[in-house]
Amino acid sequence: MYQLERLKTGIAGLDTLLKGGLVSGASYIIQGRPGSGKTILANQIGFNHVRSGGRVLFATLLAEPHDRLFSFLSTLSFFDKTQIGQNIQFVSAFDTLENEGLDEVVKLLRREITRQKATIMILDGLLNARSKAELPIDTKKFISELQGHAAFAGCTVLFLTSSQLDDGSPEHTMVDGVIEIGEESVGPRTVRRIKLRKTRGSGALSGVHEFEINDDGIAVYPRLERFFSRPSLSDSDQLAQVSSGIKSLDTVIGGGLAASSVTLVAGPSGAGKTSLGIEFIGQSTPAEPGLYFGFYESPQRVRLKAKALGHDFSALEATGALHIAWNPTTEGLVDRLGYELLERVERHQIKRVFIDSLGGMARVSADKTRVLDFFSALMGELRSRGVTVLATWEIQSLLGSQIDAPAPDLSSLVDNLLLVRFEQKGSELQRQLSILKIRDSAFDPSLLEVVMGGHGISVKKV
Amino acid sequence: MSTVLIVDDEYLVADILSFALEDEGILTVTAGRGQKALEILDRERPDLIITDFMMPGMTGIEFAEAVRAREAHRTTPIMLMSGAHAYLGANRSDLFIEVLEKPFEITAFIDKVKAVLKLDS
Repeated sequence: MYQLERLKTGIAGLDTLLKGGLVSGASYIIQGRPGSGKTILANQIGFNHVRSGGRVLFATLLAEPHDRLFSFLSTLSFFDKTQIGQNIQFVSAFDTLENEGLDEVVKLLRREITRQKATIMILDGLLNARSKAELPIDTKKFISELQGHAAFAGCTVLFLTSSQLDDGSPEHTMVDGVIEIGEESVGPRTVRRIKLRKTRGSGALSGVHEFEINDDGIAVYPRLERFFSRPSLSDSDQLAQVSSGIKSLDTVIGGGLAASSVTLVAGPSGAGKTSLGIEFIGQSTPAEPGLYFGFYESPQRVRLKAKALGHDFSALEATGALHIAWNPTTEGLVDRLGYELLERVERHQIKRVFIDSLGGMARVSADKTRVLDFFSALMGELRSRGVTVLATWEIQSLLGSQIDAPAPDLSSLVDNLLLVRFEQKGSELQRQLSILKIRDSAFDPSLLEVVMGGHGISVKKV
Repeated sequence: MSTVLIVDDEYLVADILSFALEDEGILTVTAGRGQKALEILDRERPDLIITDFMMPGMTGIEFAEAVRAREAHRTTPIMLMSGAHAYLGANRSDLFIEVLEKPFEITAFIDKVKAVLKLDS
């Protein structure tokens, strides 16, 4: 299939959403309310373009002086003051618009595109053009003349506007693409979201995706379940087993866990979920490294906990057998976490991952309805990369003989399901383990007692 | 009375400078770009020209060269206002009597204008 030439925005996530970048020579509207980040987005694309050898014309129809813009942009790493006036020009057409009208603005910008040999033109304040237009047809004419000339000169155009233009507006009907960005409140948090509303001549990752503005500018995270709607690699058709880290448990599950399977350990706080995970990840070797992807316990606490079970995590880390990543649950974007996890897996050729816990990871998600799809895609991708995963999930009931399948939806996406709980035995609490599901293996469904000691964990039938 | 011509595509900047100078009793005229300024040059006959660097149509340097090319304005003092390209102006002492690096303090700006126009501060 023929593909149109692309102009990379240099923002990895956005280029992914755009299936390779903006269509070269096409025109786009970037719309979002004041403060949504459209000026940053446009400038980041502009400075990235300059960095890859392009020339940019930034023209404004707004009264705000460029110096203020420069002072805000100077806090972001992509901003390069030395390029201003060289390969990126900032000019104002406000005065021309006010005194001479739309036709003269078109003339001015046409000349500037040629004079500056611009390959991207950014026009800020499109709403002002509309307010100067007497009829909707004038706005259409303004846009079509500008994009016509720009396309002829091989120049891609980004129109910025703070108004909420709808699909039927003259602006939308004229341009080739519409990128909408915005900010929404989710409880006390605000989440920035981006959506491609129109992409002529190109496919796009549909729907709403989250982004953040950090010191490097805008980082877009395509919804993981959309990006990995199919795993990037095909699952292995070889059946191999890996140890759970607990010999006595391996025996009752037919020798071990299936390689590239996902195991969920569910249970109440204190029942030993993290300890089971430590045994699992403690099996990591330099040849088959492991990743501890934690949320609640700091790396120091994890090392101490491992030591109590007879594992020297510091030594494993020193040999490259083990990597510990600790993430806060109070902020962040769930997709970023997913991509970071996959990036670490890729970078260190990780074969074992312990996620402690899925609940912690889900907690940062602004949209709880996505959690299941998100985990489903993430686990699918980890499986396809030959990674064996063990994850924990906290359940509420502390005591009880009833065995509830925790979060029934979640159980469906894991291969192996273990439940740990407390059981009152006379005057003491006993930790018990139930095996609910094991993939590709016969298992002994007997209830097991979990015994913890300085040499690790063992299980025995109750 | 002295007249100052301010050339800046950013009308807000041109207006702010213009008001500040008018408060000091200096007449001002503004133009949004080089070509417009050249059109009114003979009519206004300014005693001082203050120009931005980055403008549509022609840069502040190209504009200054065009002013110098005119017999009547060969010696009219020109000041360049610039952020990132102040060094470009500094290399052209043949064109500019002063290079004001943006952002600048308005009082310092007024003092410099007065000094060029030989007015009392």
